[in-house]
Formats: sequence, C-alpha cells, structure tokens
Amino acid sequence: MHVALDPRTKLYMILVVSMVVLMTATTPFLWGVRIFMTLVPITLLFIEKKYASAIRFLIFYGVALVLTFFFLSEESSGIITAILIGYCGIVVQFMPSMITAWYCVRTTKIDEFMSAMQKLHIPNGIAISLAVVMRFFPTIKEEYGSIRDAMKMRGITFGSGNVLKMVEYRMIPLLFSCVNIGDELSAAAITRGLDGNVKRTSVVELKLHAADILLMLVFTAVLGVFVYCKYFR
Amino acid sequence: MENQESIIKIDHVSFKYKGSTEGLLSDVSLSFTKGETVLLCGASGCGKTTILRLINGLIPHYYSGDLTGNVIVAENNIRETELYKLAGVVGTVFQNPRSQFFSVDTDGEIVFGPENIGLSPKEIVKRKNLAVSEMKIEKLLNRSLFELSGGEKQKIACASVSALLPGIILLDEPSSNLDWNAISDLRDSIRRWKEEGKTIIISEHRLWYVKDLIDRVLYLSDGAVKKEWRGEEFRTLSESEVAELKLRPISLEEKYIDAFTDEKGQITSKQMPAREKPKRNGNLTQASDIGEKVILSEFCFSYDKKHSGRRLRKCIQNGITGECDGLQLCIPNLILPAGKVVGVIGRNGTGKSTFLRCVCGLEKRCPGKIEVDGKQYAGKERLKITYMVMQDVNHQLFTDSVKAEVMLSMEEDDEKRCDEILDRLGLLPFKDKHPMALSGGQKQRVAIASAMAAGAKILLFDEPTSGLDYAHMKQVGDMLKKLAKSGSTILVSTHDPELLALCCDEVIHIESGKLVG
Repeated sequence: MHVALDPRTKLYMILVVSMVVLMTATTPFLWGVRIFMTLVPITLLFIEKKYASAIRFLIFYGVALVLTFFFLSEESSGIITAILIGYCGIVVQFMPSMITAWYCVRTTKIDEFMSAMQKLHIPNGIAISLAVVMRFFPTIKEEYGSIRDAMKMRGITFGSGNVLKMVEYRMIPLLFSCVNIGDELSAAAITRGLDGNVKRTSVVELKLHAADILLMLVFTAVLGVFVYCKYFR
Repeated sequence: MENQESIIKIDHVSFKYKGSTEGLLSDVSLSFTKGETVLLCGASGCGKTTILRLINGLIPHYYSGDLTGNVIVAENNIRETELYKLAGVVGTVFQNPRSQFFSVDTDGEIVFGPENIGLSPKEIVKRKNLAVSEMKIEKLLNRSLFELSGGEKQKIACASVSALLPGIILLDEPSSNLDWNAISDLRDSIRRWKEEGKTIIISEHRLWYVKDLIDRVLYLSDGAVKKEWRGEEFRTLSESEVAELKLRPISLEEKYIDAFTDEKGQITSKQMPAREKPKRNGNLTQASDIGEKVILSEFCFSYDKKHSGRRLRKCIQNGITGECDGLQLCIPNLILPAGKVVGVIGRNGTGKSTFLRCVCGLEKRCPGKIEVDGKQYAGKERLKITYMVMQDVNHQLFTDSVKAEVMLSMEEDDEKRCDEILDRLGLLPFKDKHPMALSGGQKQRVAIASAMAAGAKILLFDEPTSGLDYAHMKQVGDMLKKLAKSGSTILVSTHDPELLALCCDEVIHIESGKLVG
C-alpha cells in the first residue's frame, strides 16, 4: 500500500497534534482519542516502511502509557517513582507531537514542501528558512556522528568528569562545521537562483487525495472533541 | 583570439575580502572567449576561487569586500545584476560535494535550479531527463543524497548545473574529494560540455585529468596573473619547470594510475592474484625482511548487525580460504612493517574507511586484534594505541587552545611533555592560539599532537591531502615520513598518487573489503 500524503495535510496534522498535546485528557474517553491520534502517525510510519522508528516510538509511548496507568498513582512516593512520573508524564503528554513531526520531516521532500508553502501563500523568506532547517537535520546527524567518533578516539566520554565540559566539547566543533556548511550551502543555492523575484515553479503537482481529506477530517474531529469536552461542557 | 567574441571581461579588478588578507586580487584584467576551456592554477590562496566568484556574482553580492573595476559576464555588469538573473547564465560546480545541495533527494536537486528560475513544469521535466541521460545517472534517481558517495554526489551536482543550460560553467576544485574513477567521470562531463560549446573555467590543483581538455592556462600568484600558456604549450612543459612553479605534476599521476587500471579505467585486482591465496595473504614483504612488525588479524566486519558474532567468526575461518560474502571487510591476516608509512588505496566506498575505522576500534563489533611490540590489543584497547586523523579535522578539535587540546589527551597534565610534542611538530609558537584560528595544515598537526600525547603507536590518516596544493601536500608527506622515523606506524588512505610516491614505503590495495595487493 502506498499513501503519499500532501505536505499540507502533514502540516495540518502537526498543528492539530501540537494543540491537542497542550490540553490534558481528563476522562477515559479523551485518553482514548489521544491514543488514537498518536497511533495515526505511527501507522503512517509503518506504511512508509520506516519500521525501525515506528517500532521505537510505539515501544516508548506504550511503555510510558502502561506505567502511567497501572504502576503509578498519586499516592506513590520515592525518588525513582518521582523520576518515572516526570519521565512518563512528559512522554505521554508530548511524544505524540514529536512522532508527528518526525513522520513529516522524514517523508517530505524539500521541493514538495516548498510548493506546499507557495500554495499556502507563505512568504518566500519563511519557506526557505524552514526548508533549510529540514535540509539540516540529516547534516547535523552526520556531523554529530563524526564528532562522537573523534571523542571516542580521544577517550572522552560522559562518564569521565565534568558534564558541562563534555557538552561544550561536542557543541563547539558541531557549531563550527554547521556554520561552514550553511555558508557554502547558501552560496551554492543562490548561484542556482534561489531567492529571486521570479515566481518559483514546481514539477511536483500537489493534489489533495481522498486519504488527505479523510485525515484532515479525522484530525479536525479530534480537535473538535477536545475543544468541546474541555471548554463547553 | 582578439577578433573572437569575448563572453567574460574582467577589467582592472582589484578585490580584498572583508577582514582577510587571503585570496585578494590586484589589478587583474582578463577576457574569456566564447567556447574556450581555461584552467586556473596556482597555490592555495592565490586568488583562483576569487576570480570564479567574480564571474558567478557571489562577489560582491554574497561575499563582501572592497571591489574596484568592472566585470562583464554575457553583457551583464555583475555589480548591477541580481544573482538570480545569472542563474541561467553561469553555473558553478563547487569543491565540497557535502555542502552544495539544497534538497535531500536526487530528483529534487536536479530540478531545483530550473524551478527557481520559474520554468514551466513540462520544460523542467524535459531538461531533467536530458541531463540525466547525458550524465548516465538513471541509477541515482529517487535516492537520498545522504546515501551517495562523493563521486556520485559530484555527478548530481554536474547534472543540476546542466539542467539550467548555462553558457558558462565554472568548476572550483571539483576533484578534491574524488577517487580516480570518479575523476574520469568528471572529465567526461567536462568534455561533453566543451563539445556543446560552453565556456568552461576550471580552478584545480590536480592537473593531469584536465590537461587534454584545456585551451588556455592561467597561472596565478599573489592575486595576479603571472603566466599564461596555450594548451599545447602547457602540455609540453618539462617536469622541472612545473615543479618550479610549485604546481602538481602534469602527467606523473597518470603514469601511476596506469599501473592500477586496465583499459576500461577500472581499478583491477587481476595483477596480483597470488596475494589472495591463503597464507601469503597480506605478507607485503617476506616476513623475514621486516624487522619490527605490526600484526593485524581477524579484521572482518559487516555493517549489517545480523552478521555479528557467529557469522563473523565463521568468516574468519572461511576467510583463510577466501570465502566471505556479504561482509564489508574481510582481512583475516595482515602484517605491516612497524615505523613505516603504509598507503591504503582502493575506490571510494570499497572498504578503506571501514578498514581504518575497524583498526582504530571505532567499530566495536569488529573482532580484529592488533599485535604491537609483542602485545595484543583487541576491542576497546585498540582505541588506546591508535588514533585517526579524520578527513575533516575540524571534527576532532574541541578545546579553546592548542595547549589544552594536547593536555586533554594526557592522563596527567605534563606541561614539559606537551611543549616537547608541540616543538617537534613546529606548533610551539601557536601554543595559546584557538585551534579553529589555525590553517588547515596546522590543525592537522594539532590533531597529531594530541594523538602523540595519548600515546598512540599507530596513526591513521583518512585522505590527508584532498584539496591541497603541491606545497602543502609535500609538507604532509614530509611530516608523515618524520612521524614514521620517530617510531609511529602510519596507515594513510589516499587517492593521491603523488603522496604515495612521495612518502609511502608500502601500499596495500583494498577492493570490496578484501586485500588484493
């Protein structure tokens, strides 16, 4: 099965999920809606064959849910439980938006994204900045990997002493190389006409398919349910 | 020449970058005729890149500084022309394949330029297909750019410049990160552009692969054009003349490559079938010839986690008979001379880097063992006796001064030993400087200094001379020799035949993860 969602649908999903995670679920019904909402992007990750990240998210979220519902209660005490409550609280509350964002970044091509932005009449400056951010995720990952290797060779690990220093040692080379790459990247992009006054065209034709409309309706319903239950009842 | 149509005119141009004294130009006047192929050569920082930036408009629109004089490109005065208007006129292929991409997928990258200048989708698809079939890169379509090798990335960069159909193409040291095969692909692209009548300007240190394509050569030094040859004059320059100009040799590399390639230009393993046989595998010289030895054994590895443990061990047993499919690395036994420089050659993506990563213990699952001075090191211990100087040395400098960098590697701070090491590498005057403020070569030496402070016995270098000019390459070569003399064993992976010729005592050749010579 192949579902290629429109970037606009994906953006709408991010928007809805981010709003919903800021509203606490108070009844079992609302919890159900929330869990359903989280399972949608996980399912989509499966469909896109990103099995590793889908399973990882599923386990993280599932474990936190189970812990919250069955092992932690308001009466529990002790340091470990306190840490667990904090951890599970954050995961259960905010992970849904992270999963959705991850799904969108991993499955959207930059030119798709750019033309979606254009259709939504977002100013060029904002669209380009966001596109560069998306382009940079894999770069940061690559650079960070090399730096971690370099630290291993020097025998510098988090275990050995000053944590603040360790963070500094990782951040300085990372920042330097990201600034350099960013600079070269901009130069290369503008020699190929980015940021001109010409109206940009796109070979990707964006069309809302049935799946897009269905998902938009579902997510609108989710948002509606939350807003209604929280503020009008 | 005079009566031909001039497409680029640089008229009494002087330029100085803001806050920098490198790469300046003083009163340069040049003219390029339509359809000619011109090579710019000279040491790093001589102003080659600055000239290219003047033509594609990055100066003064992106890099600011003091500019006097006029640059006219295809009847546009660069000073008054907005950059996006030049996109369809001048195309540029840059040095670093990693940082010239805006998209994350190959298709998106090729159509990026045409989309920006607002062509109709139909026209864009037509141009894309044309560029793809010309470059023969059908296989690379619909892939993530982050999975491609340097050579493949550079092909996509050429295709995406092609898709804009510019009349002028600039190449800024395009071969720096490429292996020999990728370079010959690059040469084909340039030849095709030349046949199409495009005006091509190449800035390059490696001269051998472009020498037959060029009509004119400009030699720059200190921001001025000092010499000029016609193509045929340049090709007949003697070796000593070239060396005097501090240029890389014009033809030595090709001689060297011929030793490794068959007619098709593929690096071949045919010449050394005996090496693949058991027992002799990896014996570079007769064992009795070697005094001190470094013995590497059981260096097998696969990035696929399924192949861990049992499979790897099985491969080691089978490896003796030469059977280990599906592994990225399979070197059951290798004896290296201690205190010597050993070159590691082979194509991009063929296992060189994996080999280095395994030797220095970055790949924990690799069961390889290293025997030095009669002691065996395996697993994490490998990290302690080895150190790799990475291709991008910026990744391994963490602190705010050279001294701190060296101290960080020592178990106990020992200022005297630190000074000693720095002195040996000629870094003592820079002791209190920030490592990032140093030049590329100095940074490399700081990394070496920290390796020595950590007591590394085996030093690994990953492409230490990519993108270096002749003088700097020679410096690196001399330094490697000096390090070997002082007792370190050096493994250096390289595509640079001149470096091999300059300093390597032995050469090992890796192909598909196996040792072939």
